[in-house]
Amino acid sequence: MSDSSFDTMQGRNRMGWTRICRLFGLAAVVIFFATAFTPLPNLLSRWLGTPARLNPAEAIVVLGAGVQPDGVLGDTSLRRALHGMVLHRKGLASLLLFSGPGRGEGPAEAEVRAELARTLGISPEVILTESEAGTTREEAVNSGALLQARGIRRILLVTDSHHMVRAQRLFQHADFEVLPAPTDELSSRISDPEGRLQLMRRVLNELLARLYYRVAGYL
Amino acid sequence: MEQFFILVLVGLTSAGAYVLGLSVLGLSRRGIRKAVGKMLECFGISLVFFVINLATGVIAILLARAAMRGFVSLYMATDVTLPVLSLLQGLTFQWWRDLSGS
Repeated sequence: MSDSSFDTMQGRNRMGWTRICRLFGLAAVVIFFATAFTPLPNLLSRWLGTPARLNPAEAIVVLGAGVQPDGVLGDTSLRRALHGMVLHRKGLASLLLFSGPGRGEGPAEAEVRAELARTLGISPEVILTESEAGTTREEAVNSGALLQARGIRRILLVTDSHHMVRAQRLFQHADFEVLPAPTDELSSRISDPEGRLQLMRRVLNELLARLYYRVAGYL
Repeated sequence: MEQFFILVLVGLTSAGAYVLGLSVLGLSRRGIRKAVGKMLECFGISLVFFVINLATGVIAILLARAAMRGFVSLYMATDVTLPVLSLLQGLTFQWWRDLSGS
């Protein structure tokens, strides 16, 4: 091959690569603007979410969301824990199960939440904890075993509305009748650009997780 | 209306920069199209880096889960710093290509 034809081929490859990069770039810019400045994330959030069905049950199961090594609960974790306590106070179920492992040598999330519940006046006898499960699937298995040992079949499940579909199916697979009791850190009506970007991130995280659970055969 | 505040703000400063570029710095009017094209190229290559980083991260975490007994969260791969670092990778790679004339 002569030098000139090699140069021509290189030039074509460069043009092709440049065009592809520009197309990707245009797609990325369009997606960014659609996410930050249109209600697209709000619509996706509502589509992914699960509405609440708050009826009496035998137990309230509050799924984990993370704790810092020094025992500080994350915002989502605290929100879920408080929602579970409110449902308990309303008399919707007598038992309250907190789930969530610790990080490193720190205290387990479930134990930190249980301590909070006791401090807020909930009787220690009605609080259960499960602090080994690291994934939603493990939470369904471990919490399921704890509850089934007590003959419990009907639960109120507390987690984010996006996460609810996946969690609900896993608990149903474990033979529970599940009443969704979702709680959200971000409203699906949020309208500022930063909030919409955060909402889209949560939506994409959940879609990625659902894809993984489907491929792995958990759902 | 408040959701469009940032758009209006950036629109105004962009228009100011355009006028400044033409009148004070003597930049060419046609150059702005090439500049937008370059920006899209940089953004596009950053998107490619982002997808590669995300896929590699997910695979690495799944391998770590299989190899270790401890729990590794998949959400580690979707940290908010990933798009920013991918953008830096994209910009650097694109400038490297341009300066190397390849």
